Amino acid sequence: MPPPPSQNSKIKEPIFVKSVIPKSRQQLLKWNGWGYTDSQFVVKVDEHKNIQVYFTGKRYPIGEVTLPHLAQWAIDKLDLDLTQPPKRSQPPPTESQYPESKIPESILLKLKNFSISYSIDIVDRVVRAHGQTLHDIYTLRNSVFERIPDVVVWPTGHDEVVKLVTLCNDNNIVLIPYGGGTAVSGAVECPTSEQRPIISLDTSQMNKILWLDRDNLVACCESGIVGQDLERELGRMGFTTGHEPDSYEFSSLGGWVATRASGMKKNTYGNIEDLVVHVKMVTANGVLEKGCQVPRLSCGPDFNHVILGSEGSLGVVTEVVIKIRPLPQCRKYGSVVFPNFETGVKYMREVAKRRLQPASIRLMDNDQFKFGMILKPEESYFGIILDGIKKFYITKIKGFDVDQMCVMTLLFEGDETDVKLSEKKLYELAKQFGAIPAGETNGERGYMLTFVIAYIRDLGLQYDVVAESFETSVPWDRAVTLVKNVKQVVAQECQRLGITHYIINSRVTQTYDAGCVIYFYLGFNHRDLGDPVDLHNRLETKARDEILASGGSISHHHGVGKLRRKWYPKTVSNVGLSLYLSIKRELDPKNIFATNNLVQSKL
Amino acid sequence: MDVSRKYENFLEFRRQEKSNFLWISRTLRPKVANVQEAPCSPSLHKDEVLQSPKIQELLDKLSSVQNVPKGHLEKQVKEILDEIGYNKSLKVIRWLGLVLTKICLRVSSGIYINVNKVQQVRSKMGNCPVIFVPSHRSYADFILMSYMCFTYEIVIPAIAAGMDFHGMWGMGTMLRDTGAFFMRRSYNDDSVYWTVFKQYIYQLVTRGDLPIEFFIEGTRSRSNKSLAPKFGLISMILKPYFFAQVPDILFVPISISYDRVLEENLFAYELLGVPKPKETTSGFFKSLKILKERFGSIFFHIGEPISSKEFFGDSIDRSIHATASLHKQDLTDQEKSVIPPLAFEILHRQQQGFVITIFNLVALVLNNTYTNKKKLPTILELKQQLLWLRSIIESLGAYIHCDDLEKEIRECLVVHRNIIHFNSNNEVSLVETQIHQGKVNIQKLKAHQLSDQTMTYSVPFVALQIYVNPTLFYLFDLAVLFTVIQKEGALNKEDLWVRYHFLRSLYAMEFVFPPQKEHITYESALENAIAVNALILAGDTYIVGRNVELQEILHSSFKPFLLSYSTVFLVLQHLPLACEQKTILANVQRILEDAINNKESFVHPYTLNLDTLSNCINSLCAMSVLKKARRENAVSFEINKTELDDVKTRLDLYIPTLCINEDLLVNLQLQNKL
Ligand SMILES: Cc1cc2nc3c(=O)[nH]c(=O)nc-3n(C[C@H](O)[C@H](O)[C@H](O)COP(=O)(O)OP(=O)(O)OC[C@H]3O[C@@H](n4cnc5c(N)ncnc54)[C@H](O)[C@@H]3O)c2cc1C
Repeated sequence: MPPPPSQNSKIKEPIFVKSVIPKSRQQLLKWNGWGYTDSQFVVKVDEHKNIQVYFTGKRYPIGEVTLPHLAQWAIDKLDLDLTQPPKRSQPPPTESQYPESKIPESILLKLKNFSISYSIDIVDRVVRAHGQTLHDIYTLRNSVFERIPDVVVWPTGHDEVVKLVTLCNDNNIVLIPYGGGTAVSGAVECPTSEQRPIISLDTSQMNKILWLDRDNLVACCESGIVGQDLERELGRMGFTTGHEPDSYEFSSLGGWVATRASGMKKNTYGNIEDLVVHVKMVTANGVLEKGCQVPRLSCGPDFNHVILGSEGSLGVVTEVVIKIRPLPQCRKYGSVVFPNFETGVKYMREVAKRRLQPASIRLMDNDQFKFGMILKPEESYFGIILDGIKKFYITKIKGFDVDQMCVMTLLFEGDETDVKLSEKKLYELAKQFGAIPAGETNGERGYMLTFVIAYIRDLGLQYDVVAESFETSVPWDRAVTLVKNVKQVVAQECQRLGITHYIINSRVTQTYDAGCVIYFYLGFNHRDLGDPVDLHNRLETKARDEILASGGSISHHHGVGKLRRKWYPKTVSNVGLSLYLSIKRELDPKNIFATNNLVQSKL
Repeated sequence: MDVSRKYENFLEFRRQEKSNFLWISRTLRPKVANVQEAPCSPSLHKDEVLQSPKIQELLDKLSSVQNVPKGHLEKQVKEILDEIGYNKSLKVIRWLGLVLTKICLRVSSGIYINVNKVQQVRSKMGNCPVIFVPSHRSYADFILMSYMCFTYEIVIPAIAAGMDFHGMWGMGTMLRDTGAFFMRRSYNDDSVYWTVFKQYIYQLVTRGDLPIEFFIEGTRSRSNKSLAPKFGLISMILKPYFFAQVPDILFVPISISYDRVLEENLFAYELLGVPKPKETTSGFFKSLKILKERFGSIFFHIGEPISSKEFFGDSIDRSIHATASLHKQDLTDQEKSVIPPLAFEILHRQQQGFVITIFNLVALVLNNTYTNKKKLPTILELKQQLLWLRSIIESLGAYIHCDDLEKEIRECLVVHRNIIHFNSNNEVSLVETQIHQGKVNIQKLKAHQLSDQTMTYSVPFVALQIYVNPTLFYLFDLAVLFTVIQKEGALNKEDLWVRYHFLRSLYAMEFVFPPQKEHITYESALENAIAVNALILAGDTYIVGRNVELQEILHSSFKPFLLSYSTVFLVLQHLPLACEQKTILANVQRILEDAINNKESFVHPYTLNLDTLSNCINSLCAMSVLKKARRENAVSFEINKTELDDVKTRLDLYIPTLCINEDLLVNLQLQNKL
């Protein structure tokens, strides 16, 4: 571990971060799917009709190796017809597909005067008209959005944002903040019935690290900085925020604050609400911020919590003072195999009870466990479920059922001694639950796959399969039944809708004192069944109803957006609802932040 | 008739195969109801109940309140659990299966089932609790249910059984080994017992993988008609659904129809008030003499499963239980209020599923013959009448099992030779046997002591009525409509509805139907009445139709129930404001016995039956004419005389004249004055 390069306790000069992601995002990222354009699953059918699937590019360890088992799995489970030519996406959007920008010339002139960069190019606008929901991607590939922004603007700092908000408020123009566009709640989508001109405020060009304070271990960053840039820059100086949502390559600090994001390593570093020390939000009524930068405050209700989770509906987050930590000395992965899901959950509960959590602890159910195996590049069929000798040990000697067992992945961070101790405690406890440690590589693979799995939907879409994830938080005692109930409801609903091939699997991704987080993947083949987005919404609605019935929440970290508005009043009570609405009225009397998130606005 | 109903005789496979033993000992891969990752053994279930927060907290509380060590209380709970808990011994199941096969092959001509539904239910099993809800007409029900499951490779359910079996030496253990768990029946307020019992059910529903089987009627119906559903056990079963501890619960209504009910003779006595002998094992072995008898066919009809999730739909918001520990919570009033409609719906599907046999129709014809003092039919005349009746009952929706009518009639005469036979004129008539009751323990009588003469005359009629009753499910609505129109003349639909609703409510316990479906039932009854020409629609009023023969049957089958009820009213009018149940029953029977023996006009002995009389009393309670009170082991009532007069006047409109010995009523008043 190198010593931090500068010994000055404060770095006062802002660091102008060169982002991985260019201002014109579509140059690096797919305009109609997830992630980098050079990274995707592709299917090759050779002259002997052999089907091969592999992942392109070298960005991820799984890249450029064939995945011999994936095709057969997809055929069996999801009835993919890989012999058919894939369904290609329509070409990038053109002017003729959308109405002209509604933005008045006068406003554009003002922007010019402010020297704020803007674009009314159709691709720029469409790219910022959406997040990453199934609806978004399906629409990009096959049709058109009902409403897109009329102009995209790129302010470069707080002051420009203040000018923009004033301009919009004075001229009754709608402003929608856009960070990394990774939202999976419909939060960045334009409200379809909005008549006023809409400006999309892209924060990507306000991504400086304004200063860094080694004494107090905080850094002040502009909200547009994306996770990977932030971590790279901090890492150079020997620090990390430790905030690592699965989307951290592309999602932004402002987006995290606005959606109350949660990172994989929250056990060690905390969720975004634990990390934020100070935050500025530009509202139509002025700037909301605290007059001090202190670790904690007893001073009436904490207005940071009005900003956190506001989903762009109250103002623009411009600057955030966020906690940083020295980079850990040691980082280690691990994995444990459980005879079944229930036992795994019991184990996690015990870990949480004793507060033994390492940086990350996750439990995949049997389907996900198998899927992880399917993605192995090994040719040997035997090795696919488990490596030979291990398989013998686990199934024959320990008597695990291949159709029930589950794997837990672990990530340790900290001093070497701490990590060792933590490992020892966790593996010993695991033994008491009849579980078997399954090595570091399995653990590391597990975490790597989380990043890759996001790419797989784009493959499915080419073969009549749609997929989506949803998540929830739930008290410990209801976790297992929640999973079971949701799976059963989805199965019932699929049957009702005539869906014969589907997957519904789950994992526990976070643990708390009082409960845990469950993350579901749902995918199905919709050939000959009608609008897949509509079908999916029906399934997800049923599933969410069942989640709430089973004691789970509307969301742990994805947020409400437009997709989950239906359950917002019930979750916060009617008083809570009117409280939110009064805040909204106070901060944004003209409803220029007309995102329509959380509540369908009637303002 | 629903032609899609197809039955397979699965006893036939046993008859055909070389070795029943091989079949019995075959490898089983039975389908379970709710697959569990870590299935519970019977004893683990009991452990988990004991360790549940609910029970542990109760014991903590009791231990501090009563100042007894918790260990002591735990021991009590364990004992209770041992009394309740089911067991499972595949060996016992196989042996019983073999014995049962041999018995059935001997006494039964076939056991039929609609297999396609069995397969459908099987395919739906696996992901949530499945509850089998069979009708209850005989002790044989649950043994046959298990036999059916064994045959079709469905795992043998955990079966809710009454404590009367528990007491029988040997039987208790044997039933327990085949999956029975025991529920104390009698009203008792041992709160620890009930908390443990409820938790046990909760455990079976949430953590068990077996289907659960229970009788929604609570007890065997002696009358061969459905009893009003009970809500206790079904509420316990539903609790985990309301608490979202399970994704759904599937209720499978099952109707078991018997050509001849095993206990028919016993039931006839019981209906008349002779106390039911306590079940003892020797009594059971005595009943082995049944091996010499013939019992005809048995029919299983598996009804369309009801998903509680679908049934309740949005009327229930299960998320309301999310803000506190589940074990601290109880069902809400809203939840309690949606249970009865479900219970009625299950029962209704049972009713629709019953198979009507030719003997049911024979009974109906004979009953009509006797009531109207007509000439007894020869076999050919009987056949003619049956042909006609069969088409009518089928048109009303019944499924009648009959391949060859003449053969079936002859089979009736064999199977039911204890009830009907050819008399000296070669007519089909009731069998008479002299009855000597010997010394009757007055204490044990539930009502009035009927004379030997009355018993001798009545038992055959009552036994016959047991087989008439299943047909009334199809005839009762028509009988009501016809009776009203016949007595009151033309009525329009609204006015007719008022009468219909009154009689339907008054007879709600006697002819059970889902209250939530009353309007639909009314509509279809009107349609049916017109279709069979019992009524005619003239303009917008209903008048008497032209199907005189059918009207006669409607009349004769409704008449005993009218008489019983009106006699109860009469007696109540003459009783003081508060009286005991037994007084009411005894006096009604006394008056009716007199009327029956005074053979001037035919009074049906079934009017004496206590089942109907209690139904009447219960209906009056539901209508607030009576108010029930429980005093020192005896049930007594307060009578609201003005309400009573009102109801009586409304009913008496339809009552055929009855020769009442006025002296008996005077006596009644005198008796009370004393
Ligand atoms: C593959 C994948 C994995 C994911 N994994 C995680 C995860 O592990 N944990 C997690 O928490 N989330 C996860 N998400 C969800 C998403 O990444 C988070 O919600 C993230 O915080 C969104 O940030 P963003 O910068 O992309 O915001 P955007 O999607 O651009 O915007 C989200 C909302 O915030 C508002 N907003 C954005 N920036 C600002 C700002 N500066 N000021 C005010 N409002 C603003 C927008 O108007 C919008 O309403 C994942 C999403 C995907 C697609």
